[in-house]
Amino acid sequence: MITLENVSLRYAKGDPWALRDVDLDVTRGEFCFVVGQSGSGKSSLLRLVIVEQAPTSGRVLVAGHDLGELPQRRVHLLRRQIGTVFQDFRLLSGKTVAQNVAYVLQVLGARRHEIRQRVPETLALVGLQDKGRRLPHELSGGEQQRVAIARAMVNKPPILLADEPTGNLDPDTSSEIVAILDRINRAGTTVLMATHDTSIVDQFRKRVVQLHEGRVVRDQAEGGYRQVVAP
Amino acid sequence: MRPGFLLGEIGNGLRRNVSMVVSVVLVTMVSLFFLGIGLLAQQQVSTAKGFWYDKVEVSIFLCTPGATEVASCSEGGVTEEQREQVRADLEGLSPLVTEVFYESNEEAYERFREQFRNSPVIDSIPQEAIPESFRVNLSDPSRYEVIRAAFENAPGVESVEDQREVVDKLFTFLGVLSVGALALAVAMVVCAVLLISTTIRLTAWTRRRETAIKRMVGASAFSIHLPFILETVVATLLGAALAVGLLWATVRYGVTGFLSELLAGESGLISLVGERDLWLITPFLVGGALLLAVVTAWLALHRHVRV
Repeated sequence: MITLENVSLRYAKGDPWALRDVDLDVTRGEFCFVVGQSGSGKSSLLRLVIVEQAPTSGRVLVAGHDLGELPQRRVHLLRRQIGTVFQDFRLLSGKTVAQNVAYVLQVLGARRHEIRQRVPETLALVGLQDKGRRLPHELSGGEQQRVAIARAMVNKPPILLADEPTGNLDPDTSSEIVAILDRINRAGTTVLMATHDTSIVDQFRKRVVQLHEGRVVRDQAEGGYRQVVAP
Repeated sequence: MRPGFLLGEIGNGLRRNVSMVVSVVLVTMVSLFFLGIGLLAQQQVSTAKGFWYDKVEVSIFLCTPGATEVASCSEGGVTEEQREQVRADLEGLSPLVTEVFYESNEEAYERFREQFRNSPVIDSIPQEAIPESFRVNLSDPSRYEVIRAAFENAPGVESVEDQREVVDKLFTFLGVLSVGALALAVAMVVCAVLLISTTIRLTAWTRRRETAIKRMVGASAFSIHLPFILETVVATLLGAALAVGLLWATVRYGVTGFLSELLAGESGLISLVGERDLWLITPFLVGGALLLAVVTAWLALHRHVRV
């Protein structure tokens, strides 16, 4: 579903490499944590997948498209296949929860009856079926992040990217959020989540790709945040 | 994007940015008003030129008894023989000369008394000081020099005058007015362009979050740009409508209402631009404004809104 072949990235000549010789293959329906310290290249990796950034060298394939050969005018069609969630939620403060979720469908030209059906469905998926009329500032951080997840999923994309989605949340709420992502993943969506939340990674035991100074230093199925070295 | 949603986006955008929208409306209005005035003044020149050049003629003034200081009049007043010679020569110049009217001394004096009826000089000018003349219409008024060469200094001819020289001064004035108005219009159009692109930059900034979300979920560049472009078009069209309204009021009450009444006393010798001329230039004004809005907005969006 997401493949990086020998990908390197630096933002300007002379800068240190943000990513260096990265090979990664995330298959359809997989849940993968990308871990590492701040500045290790987690966000850069996600930026490559949503075509915010082109690699300096190497090949990136997403949902069957080679991004190096994807013409600019078709990039938006690829982005429709990817839902995105950020640490800072990025909700529209003047719109209600339901309107925030509906906005995506309106922008993409969905019909009114389709919107009326899918918005409550998606809010139910994240457990916010009773809060559709609330404004974002009336919600807790965890609830706001759930709205952001609903917004990312309302168009039913096959891929969900989450960039530090629990970065602003307490441990219990973080756990709830990742449980929702896990549920979404079990329904068939490929999830790629960048995080440096140790307890979350240890708790959910998914595939872990660890980056250090732009290189993949560990790629482990059902891994924890830190590699356990056998005695 | 469905039309209802698009209209909502445009309405929201206009409401959130009302002061900038008002300034775009006003600047567009003023620039198109000056552009319209410039075009109407040019239209006035060509209307009046056609009208005057049909009426204006070359006048060949014949010698009065007192004009002996002019070489061709050294014998005093024009003689019957000289007058007939001039008439014969004029008729020989057809087809350049299309019509010849003779105005006798009595007729000329009558016209003089009528024109200056309110002036105290009227009684101090004796009838014989007013020259009799031939009024000549030319098939090609620009070939006036031919007439001058043929009759200046001819016996019995005191002077040859091309009346176009008089009205040409009026046309020069109108020409300057038109150029001035057009120059102002150009300056205002530059203002409009700069203002529109600044407005788009500000609007793009206030709506950066919506734009980011649209990009993220896969809206096309066109659908992201469209509300911005249409908002600019709405503001510009509003400005254009106001400008046309102002021009209409100027033509209706200023030109047709005021100027033509003022000039009616001058024997209605000038044909003025009217509402019809305004309706003729209106599509160009509105179309130009539309084009300006779309092109400026498109360029500004490509600079300031990342898609």
